[in-house]
Amino acid sequence: MADPLGASGELRARQPKAIHSALTVLEEVARAGAGVTAREVSEGLGLPRATTYRLLNLLVQDEYLVRMPDLRGFALGRKVAELVGSVAPSRPPQAAREVIAELRQRIRGGVHVVRYGDDSISIVDSDPDFPLNDELRVLREFDASAIGLLLLAEQRSLGRASARTAHAGRGIDDDLAAALARGYSSQIGRFVPGFGCIGVPIRDSSGLLVAGLCFSGPRTRIESPERIVAELANSGRSLAPLLA
Amino acid sequence: MAGLARRSVGFYDVLAQSVSAVAPSAAATTVPLMVAAAAGKATVLALFAALLLCLLVATTVNQFTRRLSAPGSLFTFVSKGLGGGAGFVTGVTLLIGYGFIAMFSLAGAGYYLAILVGHFVPGAESSGLLVCILIVAMGGLSFVVLARGIRISTRVTLLVETLSVGIILALVVALLSTQGPGIDWSMLSLGDTTPGDFAIGAVLAITAFVGFESSATLGVEARRPFATIPRAIVWTVIVSGLLYLVASYTQFVGFSGLGRDFVDSGSPVNDLATAYGVEWMGLLLDVSIAASFFACAVSSTTALVRVVFAMGREGLLPSTFGRTHRRFSTPIVAICVTLPILTLVPVLVIAVGNDAWQAMSFFIVGAAGGYIAAYILVCAAVPVFLGRIGEATVWPVVRASVAAVALAIVLTVYLVAELATPQWPGVVIVVAIVLLAVAAHGLLGVRYPDRRRSVGAYDEPTREDVLGG
Repeated sequence: MADPLGASGELRARQPKAIHSALTVLEEVARAGAGVTAREVSEGLGLPRATTYRLLNLLVQDEYLVRMPDLRGFALGRKVAELVGSVAPSRPPQAAREVIAELRQRIRGGVHVVRYGDDSISIVDSDPDFPLNDELRVLREFDASAIGLLLLAEQRSLGRASARTAHAGRGIDDDLAAALARGYSSQIGRFVPGFGCIGVPIRDSSGLLVAGLCFSGPRTRIESPERIVAELANSGRSLAPLLA
Repeated sequence: MAGLARRSVGFYDVLAQSVSAVAPSAAATTVPLMVAAAAGKATVLALFAALLLCLLVATTVNQFTRRLSAPGSLFTFVSKGLGGGAGFVTGVTLLIGYGFIAMFSLAGAGYYLAILVGHFVPGAESSGLLVCILIVAMGGLSFVVLARGIRISTRVTLLVETLSVGIILALVVALLSTQGPGIDWSMLSLGDTTPGDFAIGAVLAITAFVGFESSATLGVEARRPFATIPRAIVWTVIVSGLLYLVASYTQFVGFSGLGRDFVDSGSPVNDLATAYGVEWMGLLLDVSIAASFFACAVSSTTALVRVVFAMGREGLLPSTFGRTHRRFSTPIVAICVTLPILTLVPVLVIAVGNDAWQAMSFFIVGAAGGYIAAYILVCAAVPVFLGRIGEATVWPVVRASVAAVALAIVLTVYLVAELATPQWPGVVIVVAIVLLAVAAHGLLGVRYPDRRRSVGAYDEPTREDVLGG
């Protein structure tokens, strides 16, 4: 088995340079874009060809890079995506924070704001007075929370599928059909019995789903959601230009 | 390559596939005997030459396994370098190799189980009927393991192989300790062996290694395939090679210590264990060697059905061969067609009056011919492939060329020599199948020119593998 730090567990004399070169290769692929060939990377960096090929193959082994279907070109791999995903999103601007604070004063219950990626959710602002029950589950099982259902519904309307559903069979089709028909999503009892949440989409001017506004509270208020949905949609319209 | 369980197999399962296809413990106890019949005193050296050659082939194959993953393994690799025609011929030679090794192993499992029964029922080991029944039983068991899917088959085989290698090493230590310290250096000389006999010995010794590349067939199912598969291939060659050197040295020294000739023994390890007063160890070994042969049959068949599966998917064989089991995700149609053939042929060969050891000597010819031809083709494909993707560097190309030329020379010497032995039908069958394949490929090209171009499916990155894809 390969031991990245050598048998002694210490960085040996030439290893820092090798790590540096590997990162430079990674940067070069990111800079040149998907499809860059091994020879182009070697020429672009002025690294010896054998060294470059070895580093590229190592990065492919560890899935920081992938080889494109033509076998000549390289692109950034999913490990890079995971690194990007684990960097915390920046704080929303002052204007957005004021809208959220005002909404929290008008609604009794948790108000949370998230931003969406292609197949990812990042929490921008979670309610400090009503903390999220299971943040990791919100981020990983899109079919559990109202926030996740919004993204799944959007993906379905675009004909895509998500990799992050826990119980693909469990009545999710009804949830998604309801969300698509009503323009908001909801669930009851999937995190805490007797409690649930509502998710309202925030879209940019082209209609793309960029963020979501979520209310969490007791069952009775989820079952008669008209006032809450109206409040959330109203604030959502103010937040759209600030978050998109 | 939809239908197979994508990215579900870890490093040890990948290693298990290669290790069980090689079946180091079964090979360590049978192949040195076959090598010794040809190379005489130079057996240990022939095994060493085979180790070096196989290391060259392994690092050459890894030029592909580091860059693409495909269930057709060598067959797909060659078509990436030399084109669909050569790829198809490689596929056929591999099928020959996998098929003959599977039959060799089933016969071997039957042979050693019969020897085991012979410990309790004297004379049972020479009963052809008993061996045939045992072979059919092993074939049926293989079917169950294969159809149930990959996790079961690879883990079981690694466990069995580890146990039997452990027993062999214990026997080695026991024998060497009775010999006292010091190494018999005469084992490392050519003696009066001619270069031709040495080449034959080397080819037979290579059959002890063949199968090391078979983990490449798990390219689609392996986790981090570009890291785990090359590593599994190289380590399988190194570790099994060391085991062969130690085991063959010990068997030679053990027999010369008894003043007997190694080549005359039917089952050297059993004779040695009995002669040195540890017969129970021989019993244990019979069980573990039979298990090792069984594991080898299972994993060779696993590799074989995957090539058949890939050919079915690519339109070289009827598309039903590309179907997978709905629940177990195994290539069920390919299993149902190939396994009965592999079981019945050894039974037939024994039924017409050969004993199990003769049947095994016959099957090893096909295995050597098929595998080594495939290795030659893949080594020849590497320089072309690396040139085409613009990643050719000096050493990989040199290694590939040396391996291709050396293998071609020893294989030619071997096949010509085997024509003069009772095993000549094996040579004829291998050559005939390859020529038929070439002809069939020409015909296929005339009738379906589009199929010829599409040969060589490999596992392309899917959307979730590529950032922002």
